[in-house]
Amino acid sequence: MARSIWNGTITFGLIAVPIRVHSATESHTIHFHQVHAKDGARIKQKRICSKERKEVRYEVRGGEFVMLEKDEIDAAAGDRSRTIALEQFVERTEVDPVFYDRVYYLGAGDDGQDAYRLLHDALERSGRAGIGRWVFHNREYLVAVRPLNKFLVLHTMRFADELVSADKLEIPSPSRRPSDRELEMAEQLVSSLQKAFRPSAFKDSYRDRVRDLIARKAKGEEIELPAPEKAEAPGDLAAALEASLGKRRS
Amino acid sequence: MPRALWSGSLSFGLVNVPVVMVPAVRDLDLHFRQLHAKDGAPIDVQRWCSKEDVEVGWDEIDRAFELDDGGQVIVTDEELEAIEPRRTRTIEIESFVDLSEVDPIYFDHPYYLLPASGDDGSARAYRLLTDVMARTERAALGQFVMRAKEYLAIVRSHDGALMLSTMLFADEVRDGNDVENAAQKSHKPSAQQLKAAAAVIEELSGKWEPGEWKDRYRRRLRDVVARKRKGQTIKAPKPREAVPEMPDLMAALEQTLADMREGKSDKRREKQEA
Repeated sequence: MARSIWNGTITFGLIAVPIRVHSATESHTIHFHQVHAKDGARIKQKRICSKERKEVRYEVRGGEFVMLEKDEIDAAAGDRSRTIALEQFVERTEVDPVFYDRVYYLGAGDDGQDAYRLLHDALERSGRAGIGRWVFHNREYLVAVRPLNKFLVLHTMRFADELVSADKLEIPSPSRRPSDRELEMAEQLVSSLQKAFRPSAFKDSYRDRVRDLIARKAKGEEIELPAPEKAEAPGDLAAALEASLGKRRS
Repeated sequence: MPRALWSGSLSFGLVNVPVVMVPAVRDLDLHFRQLHAKDGAPIDVQRWCSKEDVEVGWDEIDRAFELDDGGQVIVTDEELEAIEPRRTRTIEIESFVDLSEVDPIYFDHPYYLLPASGDDGSARAYRLLTDVMARTERAALGQFVMRAKEYLAIVRSHDGALMLSTMLFADEVRDGNDVENAAQKSHKPSAQQLKAAAAVIEELSGKWEPGEWKDRYRRRLRDVVARKRKGQTIKAPKPREAVPEMPDLMAALEQTLADMREGKSDKRREKQEA
């Protein structure tokens, strides 16, 4: 079984669902180290006291305007009873994906299979997600619990005040709105490019190219450096739409 | 106006809209500085060479990839740029999908796209794309490169603006095969249990009002800082009452419904009170 990163209980009403939290994502980004250009030796970081100008190893503590000890910061974490109480249920389609931050799989905890399956099936049937609070690594998160295929997943959520509202953006208004004809052509173009969403159709080809670059350099090959391109501003919108449609029809 | 993180163009057939990308999320977290416990002086972080034991400036640092045999390959910024896709400053829309078809699990980080130039042509092309996607409830998919990483992006209409979210690639979402999801038939709930659970969910249901859910952690942390400043001592809060053990599912469902009928358990108020 996959290692869990947290164990606890989800509750709604008096119903307790023992769960384990597992990571649902894995990064495949290629990581580099910092090295000293001169001798290729690894760079290490040293913490230096800005007053004494000497390295400080263990006597470091946190502070902003005031000094805080770690346990004082932890005191802000909130309830540590290892439960996630679902306080409200909402229509899943009402929650814009912009609110979802990180995602985890939930697994059934010890002797919790029946309760897990019950919550899963009831949420699936009702089209709802449960909203609650989760204390993880000394920090409280707002979370949503929802079914995804045969699993329950948990999303940590962004708070409304963390999102930049669209009306705060200074979007220039065009001198006239797009004409009906332009809208109609754009809709046709959208429809002609319409596809079913297949996540596996997209590959991170850049990751492969970085791997390839590393392999070529390891063999001592020289890498050619091409010149960049510039984007062009749009000219006649209707003409571009027409040409795009024409191109797709032919 | 927030700082642009990326600039380029969004292309859609032969229509090309020059855009800049700005963050859609702002950081409201409290940040701390590390201090030397002895004298309260801020800690500086310096980069030192592990071989020579001298401080190393940014301009003397290279990027290295460690090979399996212990050797390493130095990769320069220019070389990474050289392998970026040819049309690197473009988000080329490859297809449109029904927004409802894309599970939120694929959404990663949100940004806004804004017209890059004030000219009327760009403003109109931007508006056209925003309007059309809002009307059709469709979203555009495309790939682009930002800071030496290729992203899959979904662009959609959001309150009259174009919102771009980076997305996870399919192989970045684990299949969950090793997660206990109680799929065996023996764990299937009875019709009676399912009905009772649905009734509890219904009772606790409300409209999603994101603004009602406050970041209590942020508030408590500010509070801790404020109290500490006044010289008060900080104690951890007392833990919330544990949920009574009710191992029998049906009994727990029935008791919850009974409590709700008596109005004992109006859980919806909890989040506002805190």
